[in-house]
Amino acid sequence: MTHKRQRKRSIFDIMSDYIEDFKTWAEEMIESATSERPSWDIESCSLEPLCNIFVTTKEVVVTADLPYTEPKTVRVEAIGEDLIEIEAKMKRKVHFDDFGITHRKGEFSSFLCQTRIPVPIKPEQMKVSLKHGILEIRLPRKKGYEIKVE
Amino acid sequence: MSQLVRIIEKKPIPTEALMLHGLPDVGLVGLIATSYIISELDLDEIAYVDSDLLPPVVVLHEGLPHAPLRIYGGKSIIAAISEMAIPAAAIHPVMRKLTDWAQSKKVKMVLSIGGMPLENRQDIKEPKVFCAASNRDLLDMLDKKGLNILKEGYMVGPQALTMRYCAERKLSAIVLLAQSFYNYPDPEAAAVAIEELAKITELKIDVSKLLEKGEEIRLRARDIMKRTQRELTHMKKSREYDLPLYV
Repeated sequence: MTHKRQRKRSIFDIMSDYIEDFKTWAEEMIESATSERPSWDIESCSLEPLCNIFVTTKEVVVTADLPYTEPKTVRVEAIGEDLIEIEAKMKRKVHFDDFGITHRKGEFSSFLCQTRIPVPIKPEQMKVSLKHGILEIRLPRKKGYEIKVE
Repeated sequence: MSQLVRIIEKKPIPTEALMLHGLPDVGLVGLIATSYIISELDLDEIAYVDSDLLPPVVVLHEGLPHAPLRIYGGKSIIAAISEMAIPAAAIHPVMRKLTDWAQSKKVKMVLSIGGMPLENRQDIKEPKVFCAASNRDLLDMLDKKGLNILKEGYMVGPQALTMRYCAERKLSAIVLLAQSFYNYPDPEAAAVAIEELAKITELKIDVSKLLEKGEEIRLRARDIMKRTQRELTHMKKSREYDLPLYV
């Protein structure tokens, strides 16, 4: 009978396991809070666009996929210091029928979403562009104070 | 684990065929491209994948149930697509089973289509296609035909496993990756991947209809893209940005 001596786990291994468990838990929490709702809203006749946020050292870049959009109707508004609202009218109304769905009734004429910005930004310096149906919003980050190196 | 995945054959399966994989991944490039090829070649549903590892989902088309992960076929071509994001926990057994099944059907070559995320994709009109192969001869062939070879780096997701399992089983496999959006459906990238496919196979498919329907596809594919993005995060897809260490 052979016994392999079990390696004693270091504090770093234990911490790493805790971090992995926490990450999984956090991902599950975010998923349960955000995912299980439809990507459409019959009341506001809107579809939720696919949206993404990148945070760099200097700015926050928010992008959104807006197919079928009339560029002149795109509206981006900063609501407070950490929330951005995106709205855009579509070139034509889309119905559930267009997706082959006949058991629901409703039509959609715009894209609408609100995105929370995870770090402090300067909303008044926001720059917005639309290329190939992809909306890009650039928001400079607020700077803190500098600590001098002695 | 691959015994947990079954492939149920509905019709005779062509042998010595070319097998395409178009599974949900970055920009849904493979899924969009392969679905378009299936529709243009009018391929029939010949088999489907069943597993307890997959969510309890059925897709209704014209009132009839279909498995989300299906295999289509014609004379000398087989194509696997999934209308549902494949859970990260199921990706290994599913890909292993698809490779074993391909080998049992004497598939000539597996060709997996996918996307390669590009941060400034919206600034690029004509995405490039990069490729990788499961053996040296294939790689030389791709090089001779003037395709861009993916020389170093990490590959994560269904294509990575196609390469790994096909190489293990000495089955020829090529991965075509078109530069694409990470998390937005990218029909243009799918179109360039199909055009590149024509350089290495006899599949010459006109992509004009695909490009015309681009906006419609982007609109329809939002939900599957969202769920795919979540699974890609679980698979640590961001590892593809990592710089490899070769000493």
